[in-house]
Amino acid sequence: MIRVQQRVFDAGDEQRALLEARSDIGAVVSFTGLVRDFNERPEVQALTLEHYPGMTEAALGDIVEQAQSRWPLQGVTLIHRIGRLAPADPIVLVVVASAHRRAAFEACDFIMDYLKTRAPFWKKEHTASGDYWVSERDGDHDAARRWEMSS
Amino acid sequence: MPLTNPSLTHLNARGEAHMVDVADKPESRREASASGLIRMQPETLALLAEGGLPKGDVLATARIAGIQAAKRTHELIPLCHALALSKVAIDFELDEPESCVHVSATCRLNGRTGVEMEALTAVSVACLTLYDMCKAVDKGMEIGAIHLDTKTGGKSGDYRREEARGERAVTPSFIESAASPIVTGEGASGEVSVGQRGDIAAPCIRVKCLAELRERLGVGDVTVPVDRLASSDVAGLKTALKALDARFEGLDQGRVLCAVNQVMAGDATPLTDNDEVAFFPPVTGG
Repeated sequence: MIRVQQRVFDAGDEQRALLEARSDIGAVVSFTGLVRDFNERPEVQALTLEHYPGMTEAALGDIVEQAQSRWPLQGVTLIHRIGRLAPADPIVLVVVASAHRRAAFEACDFIMDYLKTRAPFWKKEHTASGDYWVSERDGDHDAARRWEMSS
Repeated sequence: MPLTNPSLTHLNARGEAHMVDVADKPESRREASASGLIRMQPETLALLAEGGLPKGDVLATARIAGIQAAKRTHELIPLCHALALSKVAIDFELDEPESCVHVSATCRLNGRTGVEMEALTAVSVACLTLYDMCKAVDKGMEIGAIHLDTKTGGKSGDYRREEARGERAVTPSFIESAASPIVTGEGASGEVSVGQRGDIAAPCIRVKCLAELRERLGVGDVTVPVDRLASSDVAGLKTALKALDARFEGLDQGRVLCAVNQVMAGDATPLTDNDEVAFFPPVTGG
């Protein structure tokens, strides 16, 4: 299940929905990304997430499909928010269910690494000293490359 | 200034109101932009910017209201036709020095009638919705300066308010909507596509600049006729864009990515009529 939305999500509700009426799932890993109040500059008051409607959904679908081809997964929920968010707001949720923990941990990690480098989202941060667009981080690309070397 | 024999198209020979028969008019690409503003107390504007108003996300709600209003203009204005709009975009700019919100709307379709009433209606209803969303804290807000900025397509020629002011201007425009930079200001990302583009006379490539690139170049959406491309690929499109407007030199500054029909692409990716090409900076989601 993949959603791009403005409204807030509840990680607990989403995980319960994924597991409902299932007894074959042995492990579930959930990751939630939050808005920090400091980043490239301190005192981040808010951030705005822009995306490319249409391509976003396709890119997220492709990432989840790749995860499913690499690990035996029994369910994936991926939610990314757009619009204006405040510090401590949740931005992104990845919930991965599998029979065993290793696959669930790794697939969750993989989905986040690929999302950060391939899904068309852009963050603009609003701080006490003005607004600026967040720039890409080399660390994110290094993290995504790990999966290419090990496969 | 006396108008030169203008006829009011909504009145018939007997002076009665009637709806103009547009069945025999040729279809063409029509676009209109309108704008207006709502003045408020500085404290109200600050609350709006912070998202601290009791009714929630004010700009997002006003944007949807404007889009819905554009689509339903024919229900409000008696002699307007129902139109299948291909695009409605609403933008807001928060203006602290003037203590107001500037609202602008752009409507587009391929059809037989203009879309200026839709753009004006979108601005009006977006302003009214801003009033409704903020009235709990400020009842003295004032809506004003609602006017048509530009209109392109159709036999009456193109109109630009700043050029016109008396004389009607007819200008060929290759770059649509590039007349004024898109201002995201407080980060309102302003565009919702409400349908697929229909067929139009000249084969075109639709170009979008996104996020930081859109603000840096001051260009959001542009349409380029296919016959202006030096070669039928992304590299040829970039050359054509730079020839049309110097701002596109910015496509070579920093890392700029490209997608064709929403799939990642490169300079050698081939292009044909009606392709959608997006240029954007490296992604930073998650």
